[in-house]
Amino acid sequence: MPLLEVHNLVKNFGGLKANDDISFTVEKGELIGLIGPNGAGKTTLFNCISGLHPVSSGRIVFDGEDITSLKAFDIARRGMARTFQVYVASGDLTVIENVMVGAFMHTRLRTAARSRAEEILSNLNLAELTGYRVSELPVAAQKRVTMATALATGPKMLLLDEVAAGLNPSEVDEIMSGIRHVHNDMGITVMLIEHVMELVMKISDRVIVLDYGQKIAEGQPRQIAGDPRVIQAYLGERYVREHSQELT
Amino acid sequence: MEALKSAFDFSDFPRSDLFVAGALVVLLLVFPLFPHSAFAMATVIQFFIFSLYGMGWNTIGGYGGQVDLGKAQYVGIGAYTTAVMLIRWDIPFWVSMPVGVCLAVAWSFVIGFPLFRLKGHYFAIATIATSLVLKDLFEVWDFVGAARGLEISPIKYTPPDFLRLIFREDIYYYYVIFAFFLIGIFYINWFRKSRLGFQLRAIKDNESVAQSLGINVHLAKVKTYAIATAFVSVVGSFHACYIKNIEPEDTMSLNISILIALMAMLGGAGSLWGPIIGAGILIPLKSYLKEWLGATAGLVGIDLILYALIIMIISATEPRGIWGIVERLRRRKPN
Ligand SMILES: Nc1ncnc2c1ncn2[C@@H]1O[C@H](COP(=O)(O)OP(=O)(O)O)[C@@H](O)[C@H]1O
Ligand SMILES: [Mg+2]
Repeated sequence: MPLLEVHNLVKNFGGLKANDDISFTVEKGELIGLIGPNGAGKTTLFNCISGLHPVSSGRIVFDGEDITSLKAFDIARRGMARTFQVYVASGDLTVIENVMVGAFMHTRLRTAARSRAEEILSNLNLAELTGYRVSELPVAAQKRVTMATALATGPKMLLLDEVAAGLNPSEVDEIMSGIRHVHNDMGITVMLIEHVMELVMKISDRVIVLDYGQKIAEGQPRQIAGDPRVIQAYLGERYVREHSQELT
Repeated sequence: MEALKSAFDFSDFPRSDLFVAGALVVLLLVFPLFPHSAFAMATVIQFFIFSLYGMGWNTIGGYGGQVDLGKAQYVGIGAYTTAVMLIRWDIPFWVSMPVGVCLAVAWSFVIGFPLFRLKGHYFAIATIATSLVLKDLFEVWDFVGAARGLEISPIKYTPPDFLRLIFREDIYYYYVIFAFFLIGIFYINWFRKSRLGFQLRAIKDNESVAQSLGINVHLAKVKTYAIATAFVSVVGSFHACYIKNIEPEDTMSLNISILIALMAMLGGAGSLWGPIIGAGILIPLKSYLKEWLGATAGLVGIDLILYALIIMIISATEPRGIWGIVERLRRRKPN
């Protein structure tokens, strides 16, 4: 049984079809990359899966249960965690407190939440940030903290929305090893949206490509990288023309 | 058990804070034993009353970031419940106070469930509106004395009456409300570290993120609003026994609601000491302004001007109020 099934998902914003009849499944333990040009509908898809947006039509099944009409917090409690593409920490929560909010999903006890948060921070090599306010940290660190917070809820599946965007290469490496740890060592199924192509291609088991709200391709990273439709959608026609020799 | 331990655990504050707090508590404890004016006594009692209102407000308004400008309606429910039950049926404070809390909390659910569908300014305005509606209702409701209000006549009782909280000397009221004040501090100290406290801070930060962390945002707000309400209602009940003369116009005025929110914001919304600092500054200021200038014609509105000024200064300089400034000065920045 797949962990996540998305059947014919449609999401309209007024006249705009942000997600147009999207179907796919994710098996337990997979690491799925979700790519596509800006505005393709990737974030919208995450918002629908995680329950922040009501879907216009279609069905979402998570771990054998239909979650299509559940509220976001209910879906989170069933083991679906996520991060946000645009995250602005404005409050006064410190890093450890922020991660504790996630840990509080399964316990009322502050001591239990705290030790769980500490464990996750050290697993993600973030222990030295513990006492800082999230809002004081550079973006790269903030993104890793939000990942830690999502993980603190003890999810079965983690949706990562552009955690590597805007980071420098060494920061990208750090976050990548974080994602590998989550996937390999913690055994969490991961779906990640990423603009940094090499990152997606390097670590994904399978890649799904969206364009104008539609799923235009799905397959192994190698197949996807060579798919002219994908290259055209994702990189534009100019790129295809300029690199046509390499591609063939 | 863990909750109790947490309530008495202030170890995340620097020693210097605890020393100052301890010294102030001792000072307040012995203050009535030294010669003092009735005016000073009344001012400190008002300080306790408004600190408690502010602590209540701070749960939803400070930690939760939901600016509530309608706390006076719950002062009214507490005060009227206690006054009506005492005057009509001779029911003592210690019974009427929890009844008042139940009624106030029930009312908070009635308005909390729909109002928390609103965001930001709309929520603030809606709380003002419900409070004014309730006040208008009380002004025409004969059962609670309509616009004349209710008067508790101390002659009928033999003070000191600890059951009905009817005293002749203010010193009794002083120590009763002081006890509530300390309980309030311990409660908030637990609250801010509780799961609900963390959830609220996450909600204040970002509601979508909070949802995605399994937090039922709407329910968390409604629950916290009920806690804030309970605080205010308890003190409202006390207020009735202490003032003995309650009218919708004083007890439930918009002024009270604004003053409660303002004090907490001035002192530091979302911090344990904020509302106390705010009350410690504004209450004496207000009392003295009224004493010195209030009688002078034309200057009655001076406190309103002052409030407006304070709001502007806070929002322009440090949204986290005086406590925010203290923390900023104290904080070591990374790198
Ligand atoms: N809340 C919203 N209301 C209206 N339109 C939206 C909303 N969210 C996204 N859109 C639109 O849906 C389309 C897909 O956006 P998005 O899912 O954010 O794309 P991506 O994450 O792939 O860059 C865009 O045209 C965007 O403007
Ligand atoms: Mg996006």
